[in-house]
This record gives sequence, C-alpha cells and structure tokens, in this order.
Amino acid sequence: MVVGAGIGGMQASIDLANSGFKVFLVEEDTAIGGRMAMLDKTFPTNDCAMCIISPKLIEVGRHPNIEILTNTDVLGMDGDPGNFNVKLKRRPRFVDLEKCTGCGECAKVCPIEVPNEYNMGMDGRRAIRKRYPQAIPGGYAIEKKGTSPCRDACPLHTRCQGYVALTAEGRFDEALQVIRNQLPFPSVLGRVCPHPCETACNRGDVDQPIMIREVKRFLGDRALELGSTIVPETEADTGKKIAIIGGGPSGLTAAWFLRMDGHQPVVFEAAPEAGGMLRTGIPAYRLPREILAKEIRYMQDIGVEIRTNTRVGKDVTADSLLKDYDAVYIAAGAQKGRSLPIPGVEGDNVRLGVEYLRDVALDKAPTLGRRVVVIGGGDVAYDVARTSLRVLTHQGETPEVHLACLESREEMLASLDEIVEGEHEGVIRHNSAGPVEILRDGSGKVTGIVFQKCLSVFDAEGRFAPTFDENDKTTIECDEVIIAIGQQADTSFLEGTGLENILERGWIKGDALTFETAIPGVFGGGDIFTGPSIAIKAIHHGYEAAISIDRYLRGEDVRKDREWNPMLAPKPDITRVKEQERPKIRMLDAKEAIQSFDEVVQVMTEEEAVAESKRCLACGICSECGLCAEACVAKAIDHSMKEYEQTIEVGSVILSPGFEQFDAKAIGEYGYGRWDNVITSLEFERLLSATGPTVGHVTRPSDHVAPKKVAWIQCVASRDKRNQRNYCSNVCCMFATKEAVIATDHAGGDLKSTIFMMDLRATGKGFDEYCNRAQEKYGVRYVRSMISRVDEVPGSKDIEVTYIGEDGKPVKEVFDMLVLSTGLKPSESVKELARRLDVELNEYGFAKTDPFKPLATSKPGVFVCGVLQGPKDIPETVAQASGAAAVAARDIAPARGSEVVPPELPPERDLENEGMKIGVWVCNCGINIGSVVDVPTVAKHAGRHGDVAHAEGVLFACSQDNQEHMKEIIKEKGLNRVVVASCTPRTHEPLFQATLKDVGVNGYLFSMANIREHCSWVHQKTPDKATDKAKMMVDMAISNARQLKPLHTQAQTLVHSALVIGGGLAGMVSARELADQGFPVTLIEKTDRLGGNLLHITQTADGQDVQAFTKDLIRQINEHKGITVYLNARLIRTDGFLGNFESEIEVKNGDNRRLKVEHGATIIATGAKESTPGEYAYGHSDAVVTQLDLERKLADDRDALSKLKEVVMIQCVGSRNKERAYCSKVCCSQAAKNALRIKELSPSTNVTVLYREMRTYGLNEDLYAKARKAGVLFLRYDLDKNLPMVTPKGDKARVELDVPRMGRVTIDAELVVLAAAIEPNDNKSVSEILKLPLTADKFFLEVHQKLGPIDFASDGIYMAGLSHGPKPIDETITQAEGAAARAATILSKEVLNVGGQISVVDPDKCAVCLCCVRACPYGVPIIDPEQGAAYINPAECRGCGVCASECPGKAIQLQHFTNDQIESMIEVLNEEGTDVG
Amino acid sequence: MKIAYYPGCSAHGTGIETDQSTRELCRILGIELADLPDWNCCGASSAHVVSSELALGLNARNLAQASAIADEVVTPCPACFNRMAEANHHIKQHGAPEKAGSIKENLEVRHVIDLFSQKDMLKKIAKAATRGLNGMKVVTYYGCLTSRPPEITGAKNPENPTEMDVILEALGAEVIDWPLKTQCCGGSLTIPKDEIVANLSNQLYEMAARAGAEAIVTHCAMCFTNLERQWANPVEGDHPEPLPVFYFTELMMLAMDPAKAQAHFRRHLSDPNPLLSARGLS
Repeated sequence: MVVGAGIGGMQASIDLANSGFKVFLVEEDTAIGGRMAMLDKTFPTNDCAMCIISPKLIEVGRHPNIEILTNTDVLGMDGDPGNFNVKLKRRPRFVDLEKCTGCGECAKVCPIEVPNEYNMGMDGRRAIRKRYPQAIPGGYAIEKKGTSPCRDACPLHTRCQGYVALTAEGRFDEALQVIRNQLPFPSVLGRVCPHPCETACNRGDVDQPIMIREVKRFLGDRALELGSTIVPETEADTGKKIAIIGGGPSGLTAAWFLRMDGHQPVVFEAAPEAGGMLRTGIPAYRLPREILAKEIRYMQDIGVEIRTNTRVGKDVTADSLLKDYDAVYIAAGAQKGRSLPIPGVEGDNVRLGVEYLRDVALDKAPTLGRRVVVIGGGDVAYDVARTSLRVLTHQGETPEVHLACLESREEMLASLDEIVEGEHEGVIRHNSAGPVEILRDGSGKVTGIVFQKCLSVFDAEGRFAPTFDENDKTTIECDEVIIAIGQQADTSFLEGTGLENILERGWIKGDALTFETAIPGVFGGGDIFTGPSIAIKAIHHGYEAAISIDRYLRGEDVRKDREWNPMLAPKPDITRVKEQERPKIRMLDAKEAIQSFDEVVQVMTEEEAVAESKRCLACGICSECGLCAEACVAKAIDHSMKEYEQTIEVGSVILSPGFEQFDAKAIGEYGYGRWDNVITSLEFERLLSATGPTVGHVTRPSDHVAPKKVAWIQCVASRDKRNQRNYCSNVCCMFATKEAVIATDHAGGDLKSTIFMMDLRATGKGFDEYCNRAQEKYGVRYVRSMISRVDEVPGSKDIEVTYIGEDGKPVKEVFDMLVLSTGLKPSESVKELARRLDVELNEYGFAKTDPFKPLATSKPGVFVCGVLQGPKDIPETVAQASGAAAVAARDIAPARGSEVVPPELPPERDLENEGMKIGVWVCNCGINIGSVVDVPTVAKHAGRHGDVAHAEGVLFACSQDNQEHMKEIIKEKGLNRVVVASCTPRTHEPLFQATLKDVGVNGYLFSMANIREHCSWVHQKTPDKATDKAKMMVDMAISNARQLKPLHTQAQTLVHSALVIGGGLAGMVSARELADQGFPVTLIEKTDRLGGNLLHITQTADGQDVQAFTKDLIRQINEHKGITVYLNARLIRTDGFLGNFESEIEVKNGDNRRLKVEHGATIIATGAKESTPGEYAYGHSDAVVTQLDLERKLADDRDALSKLKEVVMIQCVGSRNKERAYCSKVCCSQAAKNALRIKELSPSTNVTVLYREMRTYGLNEDLYAKARKAGVLFLRYDLDKNLPMVTPKGDKARVELDVPRMGRVTIDAELVVLAAAIEPNDNKSVSEILKLPLTADKFFLEVHQKLGPIDFASDGIYMAGLSHGPKPIDETITQAEGAAARAATILSKEVLNVGGQISVVDPDKCAVCLCCVRACPYGVPIIDPEQGAAYINPAECRGCGVCASECPGKAIQLQHFTNDQIESMIEVLNEEGTDVG
Repeated sequence: MKIAYYPGCSAHGTGIETDQSTRELCRILGIELADLPDWNCCGASSAHVVSSELALGLNARNLAQASAIADEVVTPCPACFNRMAEANHHIKQHGAPEKAGSIKENLEVRHVIDLFSQKDMLKKIAKAATRGLNGMKVVTYYGCLTSRPPEITGAKNPENPTEMDVILEALGAEVIDWPLKTQCCGGSLTIPKDEIVANLSNQLYEMAARAGAEAIVTHCAMCFTNLERQWANPVEGDHPEPLPVFYFTELMMLAMDPAKAQAHFRRHLSDPNPLLSARGLS
C-alpha cells in the first residue's frame, strides 16, 4: 500500500505494479497528483509541470494493478511485515466514479462557492468540483462537511442552506424549486413557520441567525407576484385513487406529492374552503387569505381534487372511502378546543380559542365585550388576543385585552415575535397566573377571573405538574374569557367504521416513520396523529405519507431507507467572520395594525433577501440543494453515500504523504495576510500557471497590475530557530530562482527580480548552471541579506523592504510585490498518521531514518519517500520513490505476480475475407458536445457512407453502459472497424481499444475524431460551423479507419538477471537488492576490492561507523549466492537490448580472460572520485590536505589532531568554478561534520571554514548550527573578490583572506583542509559501449532531470550513485535501491511484448542514408550489413515516428500512422474543405 | 468588577492625562479601580539593565500588593505593564523572591488597552458615548512595550496590534492601517541622543501623513513625549508638518465627556484644536 499520491507515491506505485505487485494507492484528497500538479514549471529544465506529470497520472489511472483509493484515510494497522491489515476510512465522494463522465454540468449549477485550494484560495470553486482539469480520477466530487443544522432542525428537512445559497446568487427560480421539491406552500410557511431552522442556525453564534423564513417568503411571494404559472409535470397516471380526509396542510401536501407521482388524490374538507388551520386558525393579519388561496389553487392546477363542505361521517361515510379508494390518508387535524375545569366556565362569554378564531375567519364572529382575558401562553393564545384587539377596534370599542398563562415569560411556548408584537399592539400579559374561578354576577354575566400565583409549571423530570401559592390571588375584571390552552381531535367520523382501533387516547396511532396505521392502506398524519403542533410538522407527515402511499400502491417496501440519520456538519470556524446585522423587517405600526386584518409583517426586498442570504456560513459546504443531481445526465450523483471502514491486507507500506507550506501568517513581520502584495511562493506559482486564477498573467493582488519589480525572501520559516524550523527546506533557492526566471519570461523581460537569501543552495545536478543563467540571461539579482522590515507604502500598496546592505548600512528598497519562500513541513495530518502506524518522527515531524537505511522507518515493513523523509525536490523524491518500491518489494518478493490477474481476452476474429463494416458512434458528452454540435445530424451524415454499417449518437460514449452497448452492436452487426467521435484520444483511445479487444476485434482497428476540443469548445459561438467541421472530421476518421490494419505485438522471452557495473556503494546496494529479490546479478569492479569511496570515509554525520557498515556490506555481497563478483574487471562490449543483453567482460587477474554475460538489465554505478587540487599549495606543503585525507586522520591520527591550534578548511576547491560549474554537494556538510569532530577532540583548537555558500541543505543545517555553536568560525569569500591565499610557511601553511568589515585575516594553520571537488571517473568507455549520453561535466545524463533521475533514454539501463552526480551516502543508497526497483520492473516480466505501433523499414526502399540513425532520440536504428538496409529492432522502438518523418525515401512507415492513412484523411479535407470554416 | 490599579510615575508627571482619563473612563464604565496602597517604581528604563534581581524585586513588591486587592492589576503605562508582566511571568515559572510577600498564582497583569478592547466592554463604550468621533482620520501607534515579546505581553498579534483600532472604530473614528504601528519611538534616547528620536519621530509623522492621517493616537507616555518633541523643538530642514497627538483614552473621553477631555488637551504641546473644530468636535 502506498499512502499519499503525489509524484513520489505515484512513482512508487508504478514501479511496484510494473514488477508484478498489486498496489493500493491511498490518497486523502479527491485526486492524485499532489503538489507537483500545482506547479507551473519545474527547474532546471523549465518543463511544464503538468505536461510531464500528466502521462504519469494517466499511467497510474489506467494501470490494472493499481487501485486508487481517493478520499481515504489510514486509521490503523496491525500484523507483521508481509502480512499487514490496514484499516481505512473511506470518505464518501457522493459521485459514482463508474458513472461520472467528468462533463462538469454539476459544477455549473452548484450554488456554493468556496476558496479553491488548488489555486491557494486565490479564486473560488464550487462545492462539487474536480481538483484540476487533468485530475485522475477524472470524476467530480462533492465537498460535504455534513448536513447543515438548519436542515436537520426542520421537521421536513427542507434544504435551507441550499435555497439560501441560491438566493445569495440571485437564482430565485431555482431556489424556489428547491423548496417546492418538498414544500408546496413556500409563501404560507414563509409567514407562519416558527422556524426551528433559525433557532439551530450557527450564524447566531456570530450575531443573529439567518432569516431563513423571510427568505423563503420572499421567494414564494416573488413567484406569486410574477404569476409564475409553471405547472410541473406529473408522472404518468396510475389510475389509483386516494381519499384524503382533511384539507389542511398535511392533507394538501400528501395530495400534492401523490398527484406528482401520477395518482389521483381526492381531498375531503368539511369547511367551505380548504386550508385547515391555515385557513381557520391563523388570523388573516398573519396569513392573508389570498396568499393561501393562491398556493392551494396551484395544487388544483396539477389535478388535485378538493371537495369542500364535505364532512366525512356526515356527507360521505368513512366506509365508502375505504371501499371506493385504493388508499386513505386521515389528516383531519385537531379542531376542537380544550376547556378548563374551573368554576364559572360554563355559560356565555367564555369561549374556546380555536373555535373563536374559526368563527372570525369564516366571518361568523360574535360581538365581544370590551375587556377580554385570554387564557394560554402559546401562539394560538396570541392569535386570539391580537384578533380580539382587532375585532373590538372594529366594533368601535377601546379594547382591553389580557393574556394570562401559567408559565413565566421565559417558559412561554409562544414565539418571541408574537410576544413582542402582541406587546406593541397592547396585549396585557400576566405570567405565572393559574386560573381559579371565573366570576359571574347574578345575571350570569362574566365579571372577572381569579388567578393564583403559579410557582412552577414542570416537575424535576420536566413533566407538566404545576404548583401554586394559594394565598397569592389576584382578580382581573373582564367581560369575556377565551380559553386557548390546547386542542383535541374530533374523531367521531371514525365511529362504527371499524377504524376506531387505530385510535389511542383520542389520537391516531401509527408508525412514526411511515405513517401507516394498523389497517393496510390507511395512513394518518398531521395534528390528528401527534396532537396539535406546527404546520411544518403536519406537512412533513403529509410528505412522508405520500411516499408511503406511493410505495404501498406500487407494491414496494414502504420502510426502506426512510430513517433520517444524517452526518451532521460541525460548527463552522467563525473566528474571522465579521458581524453584520440582519435587515430590519418592516411592519405595520401597532396602532394602525389593530385597525384591520391587514398583514402586519412586510416582505423583504430582493436586495435584502440577497444580502441576508450572503450572511449564510454554509455550514455543510455542500448545501444538499440537489441541483447537481438534477443536472447530472449520467445519474452519477448520490447524496446518500456514507462513510465506511475497510480493511485491506497488504505486504508492505510506503508512506509518501508529502508536505505543506509553513503558514506565513505565523511570521507577522513580513506582513503576509496584512499587506495585499505579500504572497507565498506557492501562490506566486499559481499566478504563473495557465490553469491558475489569472490564467498565467502575473498581477498584483491589490490592483491586478503586472508587477515590474518583484522580491523574494528566502528562508521564511526555514533555518529559523524561533519557529522550531531549524532545518533548510532544500528546494526554495531553486524554486524562487525558477519563479524569477519564468516571471521575467512571462513579462517579456520587463521585470526585475531580487532574491534575498542567506546562502544560495543550488546543490542539485545542473542547478548552479541554472542560477548562473538566471543572473546572466534574466537579470535575477541575489542579495545576501536578512530582511529587517517589511512595510506597505500607503496609497500605492507597494512593499518597502529594509535590509542591511553589503556595507553594513541599512537600505530601503521598494518593490511592487513580495514573495515569501515559505518552508516545507510535514503536514499536520502526518503526525496522526505516524502515530496510527507506530512510525517514529524526529523533532521536526519528519520520519526518523538511518543514513544506511534511508528508506526504512522505525516500523519494520513501513517505508518512506518524499518530503516525509526530509525536505527534498522532485528528482530526489522520484529516485527515493523507486528506492522505496525496491525495499518494499523485498519482503514480499515471493508473492510477486500472485495478486495480479491478467485479463483474459477472446481470440481475435479473422477479418481476412470480411468486407469493410464500420461502426460510428458520435458522443454528446452529456451536453458538452451536444449543446453546440448537432450530434444526430453528424451521426446521420456518417451513416450515408456505404460501408458504415452502424451510426448513432450517444449520450456518453465512454460510459460503462455504452461500452456494453457497443460490444453488442459490434457482435450483432459484425463490425470490423470502429470510429468514435468524442474527445481526445490521449485519454480515451485505450478505453475504446480495450472494448474492441473484449469482443475479439484487434484494438488497432479503431479511429477517433476529437469533436469536443476541436469543435464544440473552440466554435461554441458558431454551432452550425462546428457541426460542419464535426462532419468533416468524422469523414476523415472513417477514411482513416478504412486504411487500418490489425497490428500485433510479439512476446519475447528475456533473461532474468542483471549486470551491475561498479563495486562501490551504489553498485553493491543495487546488486544486493536485486539478488535478495531473486534476480541473479553479475557485479564487476575495476579495482581489486569492493567498496569504492566508502573505504575512505570514517564516520557519518550522526556519528555512525562507516567502516563497520562497509565491511558488513562487502561481506554480504561476497556471501550472496545470487551475486557473482568479478574484480579487476571491465566491460568490453554490450550487444542486444532490453531483456536480452549480452556483454563481454575482461578480467585482469594474472591471466587476462574474457567472459560473456547474458543479462536482462544493466545498472551503471561507476562512481566518481575526489579530484586532486591544483591550488592552495596542495602538494607543496604537508599541512595542506583534502577532506578525505582528514577523514583518514580522524580515524588514525587522533592524537596529532587534538594537539593542533589552528585548522582552516577551504570549501569549493575545484567546484563551482570555470573548470567545473557544478557543486560537489557533499563538501559543506562534510566540513561541518569534520570541524565538529575536531572540536570534539579538542575544543580549544580553532577551526575556521572559508566558504562561498554554506550548503548544508535539508536536515544537515543542524550540523552547521551545531558547528557554529561549538565555536567553529565561518568566513565567506567570493570567487572574484577575495579568494583566500595559502602559502607554505615551515610545517604550517599561512592562510590569508580579506573579510569585508573585518579587514585582512591571517591564520598560520597547522592543517589546511581542502574540500576538493568530486569529479567523475572515466565514464567515456562505458558511455560509448552502451551508447549512453554524458553531461558536459562527464557524468551520465538521465532521461529526464525531473522525473527520470535513474533512467536512460535506452530501456533496460539504469544508473545510481556518483556516476549520476555528486551526492552523499544516504542519497546514493536511495538511488541504488531505486535503480534496482527500475530493473525489477523488467526482470520480473514473464515475457516482453514488442512491436505494435512501431516503425518498420522496407529494405527495398532504404538507401542507407543514415537519416534515421541520426534522428532517432533512442539510438535504435542500425544498419544491418546482411540486408544492406536500416533495421529497427521492434523491442527497442518507442513508436515516436521521428524516423518515419525524416526518411527521405519513405522507406520507414510508422505502423498505425502510415502514409496511406494520413493521405486518405488529407484527401477528405481537400474534397470538403471548401465549404467548412 | 474590582481591579487593582498601578498608576506608575508618569501618571504623576508627563503622562498625567493618561492616568486621569483612565480613572474617569473606568468610573463611567463601572470598573472599580483600587490603587496599590504603597506602590513603588517599576524600574523601567534603568533597573532591568543594571540588575535583574532589582528589576524583579521592585515589581514583586507591587505584585504582592495587587494580589491583596484583586486577581488582576491594570496600568495605563506600557513600560510599567511590560516590567510587571515580565516579573509576573518570571515568578510564575521560578517563584517569587523571598521578601516579596504573597503573590497570587493566577494574578494577571493587564494594560488598559486590553481592558477596554474586550468585546463586551466595546459595547459598553459605544453605549456610554454621548457623541461620535465624526470620522476623524487617525493612525494608531503602539510602540513596542505592549506587543513585545509576545510570550510575556500576551499580544495576540504583535506585528499588527488592533486593540486601540477597535475602540476608536467603535466610537466612529476612521482608523487607517499603516506600517509603523510598532516602530521604535526612540525611547529614553531623547535625553542622551536627541537626534535619533528626532529622526524616528519625523519618520512617523511622514508615514502618518502619507497614510492620510489627521492625528496620531498612542497609549504610551514615552511615545507621546517623543512624538511631541517635534512640536517643542522642531528640527531644521525639510520635514513633514507634525500632526496632533492623542492618548486613546483622551479620545474616548472626547466621545463620553467632551468638557473633561478639553481640559486634558490644554497640556498638549501639539495643538488639537484646529482638527477638532474641523471635525466638529471642539
């Protein structure tokens, strides 16, 4: 298992999979590619990062042996090396990758925009997204933190965050539709709902909750006002009839959804108008009659039948409904008021609240006495009180309305709005008042009511159990008492029908999830089901009951997947959210309000609704609005996916979780996050990138103007003790230099860049040359200074940088933009990962490794590559990835091939005597192509060719179901050529070829036309012309198809052994690794002993004994049965190619003998050596030695060394000069290490290091810091300014140096140690024999400096160690392991398939001009003397076609791209080209 | 809410306005200040350079007195704050010197900007204001003593402190961000090396003017004095026009009790009146 799918994880996976292992590639993100996929260009080649990583992405994505597990975290692991059980958490993607075609329609409709992490948050992306356009897997993914609290709190689970988000975007129609999908009364509920959603809203933690209800009302009212008459389409009629008893919110909702499902609901309503409590309970000043009527009319428009004035039990019998209808939904509500058992309650002027409200609503209200007491503390009580105020005012009275309840104000059930509005209108509230008696005078007229003080309403368990103080009584004088303390259901209509059984204590008993009653086909809901409650709950019942009834009628499982059990979103981070008031809702003035029943609360304006919606914190990220699911033609989106755990058995684990940048905000003095024009280097990288937020135009964030002067600050949280980042991040010097170069390039040279740094650490291959070029060609200026201040210039927002100049004086310089090279650090999640896997980390959070085992973590069987092992760049990561693949394979080598199942294909059909039968598929790509190109027309056009036996347009050509469909058609119609017109062959050709092979058709009988990129995308505005062009391209593809011939590869056997050239560290490690994995190795060494340079080094930086390690390694090599060692041996000749090399070796061992070795792979490990200095009096004074000499002295002459008083070390002796431009990489760390060793021997010895840049890169920085602390003096010199001078002086050597601001320093040293350059061994003969390229410095040249640090352009030959370039022990071991892994990918194969799409020479036409020999980048063509013509070995040819295009005699044809094919296509172009734009 | 109050020496001399306005504000805002009964010098500027023992001892004595009164001690002087916080930090880690007396383990040392910039206090301040600051354009100047070193001062954002900003914004001033919030004012160099202070204060005036400020607001008597030196003793040459300087507590008073605030302004070397009348605040 490989954890982390950046470039390291990808390379390790490829190497393992290619050598016969099944790989699980675990990635926490939605796509692989990691950080490299975010880069614009890469150093030192300036290649486009995406262009070079993309083929690797595709290789990983398509590899049959690599299973990519995205959105996945590692939870834990048990077992032993070879047998681990890894527990994974698979987080849902909410998109089915099998179905998703990547068309992107979903993202177009998604209302949620969040910062785009791919562009470092500099632009936005949608909640449903692809990480980047080329992402693998290519499917979309939804970012969902969970269901938002508003939706969860709503009884109906309306998608509040969704419609609020759509409103914020001004997409009102879509927002309304999201509501209507669950709730048919947006305008009504937008007024009367007590909005539990707002109570739950997290925005309340900042200031006030979002006014979700008012937003809903705005949307509903807007539609009503516009007279939106869109009648939704109902499903096909089912002919099923449902009786619904009760025309309230619950019954009407059920009716609506049942009608949508195609059924015929009939609503029986006793009142003259439908609406239930909405009509007769809620006063008109809260819910105007016409609003309700309009929304009910909308229902009738889709065919809901409502029979008013029809009371079940009186006008129709319940029995008849049961008989005549297929199902019954009882939602008759709770229409009866509850009374109080107190003296005086019987008689006139005492009324029940709901009944009084109903009378008013139906214009049957009685005249009221002037003084009214309403008993009750809920919303109904307030409705009654406020209605009474209006009735009395209408009567011409001066009203006096009291409201008395048991509860204290805090305990009252009425919503706060009601209490406040009631107060404004003049309702006199009495809390904690328990009614005792209604007083009546002699005539029975009500005169008042006596209350006693209520001490508490509920008992300790929260049950209703009021206690009173009987001694504290008050009397309120009044004329009317209206009791509003609750309601009950009138169930008399059920009596005698047999349905009484479904009642329990006066309410209907049933299933709370499905609303089924004990009687099949009878459902119940609303107030009659649970007792009086709020409208949204009744609607919820109706909604759910409709689902149940529909399923019941269709004979489906009623219960399945009904539970509401969402993953809830955590509280959002509100630390940066600014307080913002909600808009003030306009209301009628209280005095005016009670004059009529006009609506009190006014609707929001459009601007207010949008502004209010923008306050939403988007708790869930995804709002679950459902628009994506509607937009997805492929039906790939599934919001119900759940997280799950999975355990996978694996043999070994490679960790490559990558890094994150240090948060620049933590370093306040650079002003990041405060000054607009201070950004991080990765942000600048995104600005440079064509897929970045500015499409590659670098502009300043503050004013979007192109900067002319940009500065970089290096070591931001690197080499920084204060932030516990003592180490060097290794990549930043080159990264910044590259950014400066590319930015200058983008600006056409009109940009001045300055890099502020401590040391320029360009340690890698070709890096110093790159930096020299940056200075000379691009004018990049390096300033060696730490920055003391960064200020923003007021107004211009330029950045003023203060630093200490070379003369020691402060300098102020103004830049347009400042880039911070923030250091790399292991990501936060790595700590947790390491803990779970029991992997030890060092103090900085990198994995602890041993210099001799750089790939192994502290946990056996768990290996590491990339930045987790220490900060490093891409080539080292890639080499390390291959190395990790090798060591991970060692434990499980016996299992090679066991988990990998080769696909079985049917035999290929013989097409010899078949006539041409072409099938053409034209793809709509959802609407990606189809919305521009007229696909049916193109398909019809293709069909007019006589030999086209089948032509059709399809929705998604690449979808799984279409692949099956294609196979059927191919078989059914006997097709023998297939043309697909869709997208790019680069990504999709292999898919269709595989489909052909599945039905026995040769994969090469396939031709593709890219009508998406070339037609619908580029000619979007001219669909007619796009269609014409598509027709022509399809004709070309058909013409091409006619010329296609089946091609076959040949299986070739190979030799499963390797030849390793060089018996130093690299050669020995590679040999041991391959031999351990079961591949025999021949190891040849030119000297008489194994060990190479290792023999001269005594101690590692951390104090380990190098010689003990070396001895042990040599012993292992000598004892290994799988390794044959030849000393004093050299390579004379090599013939053959990948898999089948034959080499001749000369062994000088007394007798000179020559022997032949057959091998399948070759590893070059010819090493390098310490050069012999020609300067600094080397050779003229015994006091002047090299670092390797010192290593020996440190082992053998410790006494002599400890007596020295003055030791001077001089760095860069022979490196980084005119003779050798490169850096020898190891010397700075070696000097720091050896200086420390001297200081340990003798603290009083003065050690002075003369250096140009201290390149103690990565974790070696600790050595440098330690040396300084130990008192080692470091003095800088410049090549062209103050070169040190060394002159012999007796047995000492005098060292002189001019130091700026110090003057001339003279040291008479007993020992002067020169860091002599590493120079390559004589690689010329090996390079000539194997035809391998060398660099200008005579090191071997890899195939690609970024992604191919081990490989050559010639297959089957690899390199490791110093022959590639200078490097220390751990990096050499890493690369050597990597070379073994690369070789194993070949050696592990049973056979090699060669041929297919390759170049073939026609010997008759060949003039032996050698053009192809010179042109081939891989050196494949040779002149075959027997034939007298060029010969191209099919095993070696890469199929690039360069030779075919170069060959003047047209003797070479690239198969599958023959001249006939190309010409036939051009002919089509000629025929039709004139009428196509 | 009762808090121990340490006025410090500047409250009796150069920075008397900060002391008076702090006391007045606390009264208005319902914060009860209880003066340390027998406070001594915090040792700022000199003691800690000469003897760390003396620096610790001086402050420990004050902290012990504060401990007897409340759980927190507040001071209007950034230097006193810095010295007391440093001592308190040291005592929390290494214990109090023997003769210091009992010092509460949970004792907190605060500067008045911390007191007034708390969220609930901001609401009280806005409520207590009888008038706003009419969009007066100011830059806030914190100097070094309340922000650095953050592990001792507890500064949330030592490079960009905002405590005065939020208070003044709540009172209707326009606070302009500028880069020199925590720039050095020259400290006590005004006596031995006046030209350094002159140079630094001129830099501050220049940047404040470029940022578009009409006044500089500070909380530190030393910064205040150093800024006003240009008014008292202008340096010859091409220098920016100096701006009026305020203590932030004075501007708070200006919003809450304008008459009393005016009394403070009379002590200023810089003349705020043209600005105040231009902004309708005189």
